[in-house]
Amino acid sequence: MLIGNFKETYADDEALFRTPASRAGLAVLLAAALVFPFVASDYLLYLADLVGIFAIAALGLNILTGYTGQISLGHAAFVGVGAYATAIAATRLGLPFWLSVPAGGLVACLAGAVVGLPSLRIKGLYLAIATLAAQVIFEWVFTNWTGVTGGIRGLNVEPAGLFGFAFDSDRRVYFLVFGLLALLAYGAANLFRTRVGRAFIAVRDRDISAELMGIDLFRTKIMAFMISSFYAGIAGGLWVYFARVVTPESFPLSLSIQFLAMIIVGGLGTIKGTLFGAVFVTLVPEGLRAVTQAATRLSPDAMSWLAPMKEIVFGAMIVGFLVFEPHGLAEIWSRVRRFFWLWPFPK
Amino acid sequence: MTKILKSTLAALLAAAATTALAQAEIKIGACQPITGRFAFAGGQLNAGLGDYIAYANEQGLVKGKKLTYIFEDTGYDTEKAVATFKKMMAQQHPVIMYGESTGQGKAIAPELNAKYKVMYGSTSFSSELADPKTHPYSFISGPTYSDQFGILLQYIAKGATKGKRPKVAFFYSDTEFGKDPIAWAKKRAGELGIDVVAEVVAKVGAVDVTTEVLNLKKAQPDFVIFQGFVMAPIPEVIRAARDHGLKTTFMSTFWSMDKGIIEKLGEDAEGYMGVNPYGYYYEDTPAMAAMRKYNERVHPAEARYRPNSYIQGWFTGMVFVEALRRTVAAGKPVNGDNLMAALSTIKDWDTGGITGKVTFVNNKAAVGRVYRANVAKGIFEPASDWIYLK
Repeated sequence: MLIGNFKETYADDEALFRTPASRAGLAVLLAAALVFPFVASDYLLYLADLVGIFAIAALGLNILTGYTGQISLGHAAFVGVGAYATAIAATRLGLPFWLSVPAGGLVACLAGAVVGLPSLRIKGLYLAIATLAAQVIFEWVFTNWTGVTGGIRGLNVEPAGLFGFAFDSDRRVYFLVFGLLALLAYGAANLFRTRVGRAFIAVRDRDISAELMGIDLFRTKIMAFMISSFYAGIAGGLWVYFARVVTPESFPLSLSIQFLAMIIVGGLGTIKGTLFGAVFVTLVPEGLRAVTQAATRLSPDAMSWLAPMKEIVFGAMIVGFLVFEPHGLAEIWSRVRRFFWLWPFPK
Repeated sequence: MTKILKSTLAALLAAAATTALAQAEIKIGACQPITGRFAFAGGQLNAGLGDYIAYANEQGLVKGKKLTYIFEDTGYDTEKAVATFKKMMAQQHPVIMYGESTGQGKAIAPELNAKYKVMYGSTSFSSELADPKTHPYSFISGPTYSDQFGILLQYIAKGATKGKRPKVAFFYSDTEFGKDPIAWAKKRAGELGIDVVAEVVAKVGAVDVTTEVLNLKKAQPDFVIFQGFVMAPIPEVIRAARDHGLKTTFMSTFWSMDKGIIEKLGEDAEGYMGVNPYGYYYEDTPAMAAMRKYNERVHPAEARYRPNSYIQGWFTGMVFVEALRRTVAAGKPVNGDNLMAALSTIKDWDTGGITGKVTFVNNKAAVGRVYRANVAKGIFEPASDWIYLK
């Protein structure tokens, strides 16, 4: 049982992981993440890479929506902008991946700044529609600016390489994705301990009071859009080296909605929750699919009515979260942890 | 001592028997779009492919081998399809795979070429996948969309009156599916002495097509070829064009050539034409009769009519089995490289009326037939013989 957590120095007070237990937990998690690619099958590795890339993009969206309170329905488009910028940097300019991926992030960042401009004047649902417009416009550009984006056929990219080592399998890409995910998650967690990050939270909680406290609303909102899109752009860049082909059909509106689902299910305004959400939204449909597949073996006709069931079950799970745990998976996790801390005493 | 010897011998025999059994079984895996946007065809594609493989087993078409068909639903989602592909390859080790979309074919290509190296067929007619340089393990179950346009254009050019250049308009959707053959078709039309007088782009499922039809009216084409739609807005366009008094022949490619469209169009289907790479279920050919007989026995409820997507699945099964037969007959190990080599030896292959004589060049078979709607009977009837593109 944990009875207290005494901090004796300022360094202790500022630590991200404050208790030996949480530090041990982190160490176990990192060790598991390192061992995983060597024991997992191709299929699991593919899903893991997908989760990692989505988690990076969802982190970006959570910075914007969860922490700053600016809703965005165009997040997939920013992932797309990053993906195209990376692919173009890699194929046309011949840049190595350690330059082309950040380049994708920066281009997406600029796109985010432009799309974020109206956010000073419009809020809430109106902003949602403005960002929806960005989604549609970018999708159109991907399809029709054939000279640059390769049109409907898209662009093919060679695998990422570093000192003659090619990231040409899901196992190798895994290290790239999860290395960057760790870095970016750490960065995001730290962001909210700086002036900029605290300004984001202040704007979310009440923009007028934030302005009265001397926060430049315009700068802060644009900054949130830029950082958020930067994360999306990095995710897009990784997507390119993961899928090795980028087409306009990879970044539809439904993906934007999926990112929103991730941060809502995981927990708005938490880093941990974003990671949980990305895992949940990517893997639960896959699990449900495995269940329907297994049921098909028992009865071949089951497919016709079980297949739509999985959509319904998935939808019901999301509604269930909103109703019973609006703070998302992150809150459930904290509750479970508190329970064990205090065990065997009731809370 | 003899006891040990005996048991070792028995173990060895058992091991030999299992490997023999393993070699005798050939697995064919499929990622099928049974749910999702492509569900209208996915279930039938799956049924057609699965049925032909079962039929080939019954008939013992691949000597000494048992074919096993494994499929999973992908919901027409590229990521799920790629995941399914990898899962099947890891768990079942099939030597042949079937994919749900053009997107999947493109996404899986780098690893298919470098790592998996299995024969890969799919629902797609994309010209991009019929390139042995970039997609050495993929093939198209028939002609690409470009070939289908080529067949229609050739038909138009042949029927044209001397000294008068036929006028054609292309009506397509703003998708990969819609744009795929357009650039090539424009070039080809020029070569055949056909004028492309209009290109109209519309959304899949559009309801209000007034502007598009007015564009057609301005251009007054003799023929309009649709591409990139399945149903809507084709009936809307045809109806509006008739209302405007346009005397144009409307044509389509594979996906809009099922007899369902005649029911949908009713009277307006008069004169509707298009290209189909395969024959229709009700045609009087030996292969179709065998297919109908199989369905009457195994699926009596669905034996009355099977749509074109079923025939596409069935034909893809035939190509798989033919490549397997040729590989096994040559005494070569059954793997992707040998199967693709066997595919390229297929020349003037008689399918008994599923399609024309099949020759695989550049991993596709550029053959098809022009059909015209017969409104009274509610079916499509041939307007040409099988047309082959060089």
